Amino acid sequence: MAGKKDELVYVDSKGKRVDGRKVEDLRPIKIEVGVIPQADGSAYLEWGQNKAFASVYGPRECLPKHSASPYKAVVKFNYRMATFSVPDRKNPRPGRREYEISKVCGEALERSIFVERFPNTQIDVTVELFDSNAGSRIAGLCAASVALADAGIPMRGLVCGTGVGKAGGKIIVDLDKTEEDAPDAVDIPLAIISNTKEVVLMQLDGILSKKEWQQAMKMGIDASLKVHEIQKAALKARYENVKGDDKK
Amino acid sequence: MMTELWDLRVDKIVADLKEGKRSDGRKVDEMRKVEITPEISKNAEGSARVKLGNTDVIAGVKVVLGTPYPDSPDEGSISVGVELLPLASPEFEFGPPSWDSIELSRVVDRGIRESKTIDFKDLCITEGELCYVVYIDAYAINHDGNLFDASEIAAMAALSQTKLPKVEDGAIVKGEYAKKLNLKYKPILNTFAKIGNVIVADPTLSEEKAMAARFSVAVMDDDNISAMQKGLGGSFTVEEIDKAIDVAVKNSKQIRKLL
Amino acid sequence: MAKRLVVPGELVTEERKKLGSHVYISEGKIYSDSIGLVDDESNFASVVPLEGKYLPQVNDLVLGVISSEKFAGYVVDINSFYPSFISKKELREMLKPGSVVSAKVLKVNELNEVDLGSIRTFFGGEILTISPVKIPRVIGRDCSMLNVLKAGTKSNLIVGKNGWIWAKGGDTDLLKKAIDKIGAEAHMSNLTQRMSDFLGVKQQKNDAEYIEETEEMDEYEGEE
Repeated sequence: MAGKKDELVYVDSKGKRVDGRKVEDLRPIKIEVGVIPQADGSAYLEWGQNKAFASVYGPRECLPKHSASPYKAVVKFNYRMATFSVPDRKNPRPGRREYEISKVCGEALERSIFVERFPNTQIDVTVELFDSNAGSRIAGLCAASVALADAGIPMRGLVCGTGVGKAGGKIIVDLDKTEEDAPDAVDIPLAIISNTKEVVLMQLDGILSKKEWQQAMKMGIDASLKVHEIQKAALKARYENVKGDDKK
Repeated sequence: MMTELWDLRVDKIVADLKEGKRSDGRKVDEMRKVEITPEISKNAEGSARVKLGNTDVIAGVKVVLGTPYPDSPDEGSISVGVELLPLASPEFEFGPPSWDSIELSRVVDRGIRESKTIDFKDLCITEGELCYVVYIDAYAINHDGNLFDASEIAAMAALSQTKLPKVEDGAIVKGEYAKKLNLKYKPILNTFAKIGNVIVADPTLSEEKAMAARFSVAVMDDDNISAMQKGLGGSFTVEEIDKAIDVAVKNSKQIRKLL
Repeated sequence: MAKRLVVPGELVTEERKKLGSHVYISEGKIYSDSIGLVDDESNFASVVPLEGKYLPQVNDLVLGVISSEKFAGYVVDINSFYPSFISKKELREMLKPGSVVSAKVLKVNELNEVDLGSIRTFFGGEILTISPVKIPRVIGRDCSMLNVLKAGTKSNLIVGKNGWIWAKGGDTDLLKKAIDKIGAEAHMSNLTQRMSDFLGVKQQKNDAEYIEETEEMDEYEGEE
């Protein structure tokens, strides 16, 4: 591939991207469930270079009391990044970016949870990134949804998603950092509920025609369902790998 | 996990300890198994995950450029912090750090800084103008007792991996490294809990809930001591501390081999 | 019977079955809301969850731990969404933070707040824990598993529906290992047999499955 940024061919004539993926390919994803014994539910997720831990505590008493709702559980989602998870050291105090991501991710999960069953309570979801390379918010959100299932919190379905967008004039799935830096880059973090395919998170940075957006949605949803298969397998693996024949 | 279950558990822990029994079968001066996984973050200059039994901490190092302090123009500096993430316990919350978390951070910092394991003169690039500032941040992932030692060991493990970035024309060259960070010593923090009249090394969470007093000591490679901290409202006799230091020296040798 | 593992949002059936627990209907199909087990041969569309917090029901026997004292009574942790409250008028003795009690759930309101009665205090012993959804396995059909645990460890046990188990005497370390094993293998069949083997107890009754025990659990009165 060419050295200078503006000479980089983001998708070549054979449909190969800078890291060798095809336009519809996700980076490798690995999920482990139940990694934090103290938590009610937890998951660890690797997505490309992203490394996220997610924990769930709750439903539990909602404090302060004035933040409680008599109709439903309040989902309190906190997305954070470790100081060493990015190339230039991140200030340990969260900034506006973390607060915005926390808000949209919490709202995404809220639609998936049967929150009306637990009025007056809060569900604390924490996501911490220890390494990152584009797509960290969706990686964290997918980990959080698995952690909620691990906590036994009743849900309509798992929240799964991916980034989708454009670089080098082509619509591609799961942009990495190199692709996000393309001159014409467009990034759409997208998340859906697995079985209903309702969109629960969507943001967009960049310029797209409506037709391009439609193509991106189709590719994004297909890719999100692939992520869902990985989430499902990770949850089931906890129960399918138990052997029962040890003696005291 | 319930937080107030401790009366019956405390009674059992105290009663068992009178017979030298701990719930996980360890002897009173024994530490849990330490597992170190290096290279957790590619964006970090050095990083490691440490499991001390079920207590789980990830530490990482970022090296940035800074200006030396006017009174030490030929030296760089370090900064050590520990964050008790809400991942790790139902009792941890985001927000301003609790006094517990501040004490933990400062004790870990003391153990590393006071040992002079890092020679600040090694961190000088151009005298009076440019130096490296080494930031070490440890994050608790699961709390099963003794976040003190787990965080310090994780910080040391991350530092053992650390490479200083290459600097050209006053700026860091991404992806290129000048040299490995030199560590003169490997101080190891050892924390003890006093439960009844028994001193145990490396307390689990249940043991911490039963303890009346806590004592930590950082031991260097030459068996010298670089930091100490007594915590909580109980007390120790001088003999108890003396014995604990001997145990710390012994246990540090085992842990140091893993770094 | 065919037991199938499902996750939230996974299809339970497209047939028009009667609705059991932990399922919901969307566009004419029935889906699971939890990670759990489905019996495809049953007439009900139902999921028995493998994880989850304690959801209080009237008449449940629960174990509780006093967390603080107020003027008129005590705040008690029952491992549910909120702590509960015991009035001093209900008690014959003084309690303190850390004291262990058993209680019956008298009332549950729409916020899942609980009124407790029939308070009994315990002394000594310890509390072991397991996920509340697996408590039916600790008791077993006709108390079969409970009998195996008692015979194998010679401990006295009181099993709370809220996932807390008070145990005293006998080999409580072995009991803890046994409870942890039940927690890890609750979804597997032949559990009573395996626990009998694990504890070296001769098993008397026929084994039952996780789903059957949860649906048919006896009224467990908590005798020692």
